[in-house]
Amino acid sequence: MHDKDYYKSIGFRCGLEIHQRLSTEHKLFCECSTDSSGDRVIGSVERRQRAVVGELGAMDRSTSFESSRNRSFVYNIFKRSSCLVDVDEEPPHHVNMHAVEAALRFASAFNAKIPDEIEPMRKEVVDGSDPSAFQRSMMVAYDGTLEIGKRGIPITSIFLEEESSGIVSTKDDTVTYNIDRIGIPLIEIDTDPSISSPQEAKEAALKIGLLLRLTGKKEGDTAVSEVQRGIGTIRQDVNVSIAGGTRVEIKGLQEIDSVDLFIENEIERQLRLIDIKKRLIERHAQVDGKSIDLTEILKHHDGKIVRDALSKGGVVLGARLKGFSGFLGMEINPDRRLGSEVSDYAKMAGVRGIIHSDEDLGKYELSEDTVMQIRQALGANSDDAFILIAADRQSCSKAMAHAIDRARMAMAEVPPETRAVADAKKGNTRFMRPLPGGSRMYPETDSEPIEITSQFYEAVKKGTVYMQERIRKLEKELNNPQIAEQMASSTKLMLYEYITGRVKGVNLVVAATLLEKVRELERSGISAELDRDTFVNIFKRYSEGEITKAAIGEIIKYSPKSASDVERIVKSNELERISGAKLKDMVARARKNGADAMREIMSKHRLNVDGEELRGLIGDKK
Amino acid sequence: MYSKELQEVFSRLGIKVGDTILIRSDSDLQQGILMPRTEAGGSDIIVIKRKDGYNIGIKYSNSIKVEKVSESTSHNFSFPKKESRPNPSLGKMAMIYTGGTIGSKVDYVSGGVYMLTKPEELLHDVPELDQIANIEINELMSVASEDMSYHAWIKMAEATAKALNNGAKGVVITHGTDTMHYTSAALSFMLKDLNAPVVMTGSQRSSDRGSSDAFMNLICSAQMAMKSDVAEVGICMHGSSSDNTNIFIRGTKARKMHTSRRDAFKPINNLPICSVDQKGKITYLSDYRKVSEGHKQKVSAQIGYEPKVALVKAYPNSDPEIIEYYLSKGYKGLIIEGTGLGHVPSQTEKKEYSWLSNVKKATDSGMIIGATSQCLYGRVSGTVYRNLRLLEDAGAIHCEDMLPEVAYVKLGFLLGNYGKEKARDMLNKDIAGEITHRTEFDFPTE
Repeated sequence: MHDKDYYKSIGFRCGLEIHQRLSTEHKLFCECSTDSSGDRVIGSVERRQRAVVGELGAMDRSTSFESSRNRSFVYNIFKRSSCLVDVDEEPPHHVNMHAVEAALRFASAFNAKIPDEIEPMRKEVVDGSDPSAFQRSMMVAYDGTLEIGKRGIPITSIFLEEESSGIVSTKDDTVTYNIDRIGIPLIEIDTDPSISSPQEAKEAALKIGLLLRLTGKKEGDTAVSEVQRGIGTIRQDVNVSIAGGTRVEIKGLQEIDSVDLFIENEIERQLRLIDIKKRLIERHAQVDGKSIDLTEILKHHDGKIVRDALSKGGVVLGARLKGFSGFLGMEINPDRRLGSEVSDYAKMAGVRGIIHSDEDLGKYELSEDTVMQIRQALGANSDDAFILIAADRQSCSKAMAHAIDRARMAMAEVPPETRAVADAKKGNTRFMRPLPGGSRMYPETDSEPIEITSQFYEAVKKGTVYMQERIRKLEKELNNPQIAEQMASSTKLMLYEYITGRVKGVNLVVAATLLEKVRELERSGISAELDRDTFVNIFKRYSEGEITKAAIGEIIKYSPKSASDVERIVKSNELERISGAKLKDMVARARKNGADAMREIMSKHRLNVDGEELRGLIGDKK
Repeated sequence: MYSKELQEVFSRLGIKVGDTILIRSDSDLQQGILMPRTEAGGSDIIVIKRKDGYNIGIKYSNSIKVEKVSESTSHNFSFPKKESRPNPSLGKMAMIYTGGTIGSKVDYVSGGVYMLTKPEELLHDVPELDQIANIEINELMSVASEDMSYHAWIKMAEATAKALNNGAKGVVITHGTDTMHYTSAALSFMLKDLNAPVVMTGSQRSSDRGSSDAFMNLICSAQMAMKSDVAEVGICMHGSSSDNTNIFIRGTKARKMHTSRRDAFKPINNLPICSVDQKGKITYLSDYRKVSEGHKQKVSAQIGYEPKVALVKAYPNSDPEIIEYYLSKGYKGLIIEGTGLGHVPSQTEKKEYSWLSNVKKATDSGMIIGATSQCLYGRVSGTVYRNLRLLEDAGAIHCEDMLPEVAYVKLGFLLGNYGKEKARDMLNKDIAGEITHRTEFDFPTE
């Protein structure tokens, strides 16, 4: 970890894109359920896609790149959670106004500006993750602020868009996706790149997540959260650049805890690449772009990769990278070398990877003799590196072209890329595709613009409960900043608000029960999914002195189904509170027998006696 | 469309769609490219495209100031191109554009729809075509298929005949999908002595989306036109929702059976003639008329057509007066889309709902009336029930397993070329594959 000045000194810039799924009942542009639990696949379709020219004529570099990969996509279709709209066989239905309202609520929470009319757009995606080859997306707000302590980080834009589909598998040239989650409304919050350190990025991500969870729709005295919770429902993309480097986007971080690690590693990667560039130039390195067919030299070779390719009629191509010796093997991130980057590019043509001369070539069963022959054929001396690719001719030459491109970039720049998580533990990433530009946007001509009148927006704001109010209220009524903070970020917050809205003066007990007791029960496998009114009943009994604090957890353990069920459980398990005169008698009796009254009574009636009351009584008698 | 007031503001400031503008208000400042408004009705909301690619709408009012920042750089809109080089080893293919979603693209700056009229524009989008044929494009018309009339059919028949007589090995006609099956029927009847594949195709998803079916439909259709030996008119579109194979359906047996799916076109009362994939693999599935080698006769377009022909539907409570109406308007033929085996309401409780006397009156005065079924699948009959016989006695002709739309097109064709007597005779006789004499049991293939 470095201090803030360090990041300033390297020209660190960082911005966040937080994607959070909304919990509306229906998808954004159709009436399919957003909850696919228990749903089943009823069939699949296979599609191909190609890049088309964006609205302003230019073909976006990321889309033309994807479409140069000749792949087919299989979409698994679900019974309840997908329909013809999701599989691009029916025009979109009307926009889900609940999702629009939720988006406006968040926009107001960030104090952002709202356009008078929201224009649904198509964002071209050709990685196949959407059967329509675009994602519907709309800008709902811009120019907001995220307050972190005293600092305000500008929120440049807030989007409402469709979730993409989930990848199931990639095999050869076929990618399979599940389309159950496609079209679920997603809110995207983008900060500007002024985040000043990896730690601040993590802090900002946490704060945005909290704000999304705590801003809710007013319903009686509580607020209904409009975001989904659980694995995969919130994702962080981070944009990182340093001086001399470039903007790189790391996509789909799910663990907020490792956001800073990924950023630190990306800084390191760019620093190393800048260093490599400098040293390559010093060495007069060169990439002439020629590749040579080495099939003849390797036709009797025994190594698996080469043999696999040749047995299917494929070829081996090689290329010399002049002056590159030693650089391909240079580590630029934990377990990632420049060679891994070159290999990632080659893989986009559908090959399994590359072999390069900075590797231990013995593991490919390439003898010194064979390596000599290869070097000779390529005209590569000991200062030079070489790369080999084995596959069918078409993929092979495509892959080689990509690989050579990447090698050439090593002498010129840190390439602007979208990168994906390679290893979540190590915090390293791999190349996914070139960074998209703005020309992949065009209007969604199938759906109407959404006019947001000021009356409508005011009504939405009026119906909103904001994070600050909720946290302030918690801090006040719990009078314990630590528990208040825990409660604020807990999934049980709504339940807490419901109960404390109906039973007065028990806030701390309710919070402690929900945060500790209920979680403890859930961890030991006991379902504490009680009806919220049953919870109210239990806490009412407590507040009226019918049961003790200790008995609350005990009752919950029996999972009562209703208020009368609570009554039954209390009776049959003798959980009624013993207090007042009855407790006094007990103390007197215990004393008479010469026992330690406190211990004697608590050991027998732990669940029935309030420790404080007992202590009071014993103290009285002293 | 922008409101009149806004249009005036723009013109006063010399602002055109595509220009970069600045919009100032008390609390906001937005810069972007002025976008067209595609919605009908005047709007006072200005749509601009921001630098990040998103469009937003800002309401125009007196408190807002609009300024022009810079001129559009792309006033002369053109599509990207790929050079086409004639390949002597490939045959000649004619591609006739008639309009519709396929073959046209939207210029999002001006909002205009343009057709890809040059081979090099089409090849940029579908470079695979270069490997299949040397393509000559004929930009015949640009009409949405729902707006077409029989004049369009005649133009297409003439253009097709001309292309084939000029040495094209096959013809691909791109067409809007809504009424493509009417056109395919018309061309099936009109093209006499046809000795080459005439392949109609369209798309259900516009070609400005990466998932468009246009690309595969064009490739498969070109393969069909150049590699098959089918001497018929047919429709070549997706065989399923997947981008695997297309099917080629006889022009007189095809029908659009879905509003939006890729595989909307189905053969009715028939199998597809064949399936075809993008690599040109053709699998024949039923009998068809073959290209004959020794055939010397030139193809001709039989372009007579009688437009005073109508298609009416019989249904519960339907008013038979409709026949009276057409009679009074001088109509010469009528196809009834009847219920079941070809029924119309006949012995109704209330006499005014029975069609029989109106049918009889019309046929007596010389109108030709054909009976088909709204079931679409299956054959009509003139004998099974008493009501069917009554209808025949009234002078109606039951049209076997011919589709209502096909019977409708055929009747206009017959009246336009052969006169009343012959037309009456030919209506229920097969001339272009529209009637099959035996219906094979078909098992679901999916």
